[in-house]
Amino acid sequence: MPVINLPNVRLHVQELNPEGEETLIMVHGMFSNLAVYYFNIAPLLAKHFRVVLFDMKGHGMSEKVQTGYDLTSMTSDLRDLMDVLGIEKAHLAGYSYGGLVALKMAARFPERVGKLAIIEGPDPSEQETLTIIDTYSKEFLIHYIENFADTTRLLAGKRQLEKNHRMYEFLFNETSIRSDMEGEKGFFNDRAVAAIQHETLLIYGEASNCVPSGRTLASKIKNATLVLVSGDHNVPVQQPEVIGRELEKFLEPSPLPVG
Amino acid sequence: MDQLIQDKLSKEEIFETLHQFITEVIGEEFVEEMDITPASSFTKDLEMDSIEIVAFSEKVKNHFGSNIDFTGWLSNMDLDEIIQLKLENIINYIQECQ
Repeated sequence: MPVINLPNVRLHVQELNPEGEETLIMVHGMFSNLAVYYFNIAPLLAKHFRVVLFDMKGHGMSEKVQTGYDLTSMTSDLRDLMDVLGIEKAHLAGYSYGGLVALKMAARFPERVGKLAIIEGPDPSEQETLTIIDTYSKEFLIHYIENFADTTRLLAGKRQLEKNHRMYEFLFNETSIRSDMEGEKGFFNDRAVAAIQHETLLIYGEASNCVPSGRTLASKIKNATLVLVSGDHNVPVQQPEVIGRELEKFLEPSPLPVG
Repeated sequence: MDQLIQDKLSKEEIFETLHQFITEVIGEEFVEEMDITPASSFTKDLEMDSIEIVAFSEKVKNHFGSNIDFTGWLSNMDLDEIIQLKLENIINYIQECQ
């Protein structure tokens, strides 16, 4: 299993089309893993790009660590990953909390980021995730998995339920994830976000309660375009081919004029 | 000395290999409780989630080589087809690729 040692953490990484000229790095959301991209969205984009997927710390098959779930630590991990893989500059796509990681990356290391695609990035000052963390219980988890998790349409059996339960127990009770996410509440008002110059695509599901977050970002980031597609917050799972095509259209360099 | 080289693995041999991979991915303690057969489906019978299928795909790729574009094959399926996917579908696919 390709697990890469970084200075602070060991991350599970998957690469598609390693020979691709330009690189696209895709960042998943909280309580999820790289599988959200692996089967449909990433293979489509790997026709044009070297695609790098990784599991965030504490998620998927990456190392379980107790601290460092804030955006600064997360982007330091990502910069370290780029260094280790020899990637000078990459396009970034991030979903949900991963979208915030991508934004923070563009703000902190603008020269390392090409184009920026944010899928359903929530405004941390109003996101429900924090409420979700507070109301966490196993009963709630069953409801959450059935309605919101990336595994939505894969019916959760007993072993999966236990596995998810263990993940939530670990992240909620043994790590700093709650306080780290709390600490990011002011992120959308960070001047560095408004100063992002990158060409930015904001993709939101029209039925998602994150749409206002998308509008906020569209008003703050100069070169941002907001696209609404049918679906809700789970749109990458509901419509992977739509998300894949939107990203493809946005990232693909326009063909050189013939003649 | 001439030697007959058996260049194609039988379905049984492929099944044994895949069975081993499944055991490695989901753990022996769970596999012991299951009756894994070629008719077992990944999500319903084996209760594998997507990240476990990623791990399983890696093992298939590393073992059977680059002739088998397992991820590419899976990426042509929609989620409902992946949910329906049975071990025997993969055995057949690997045999065809040999």
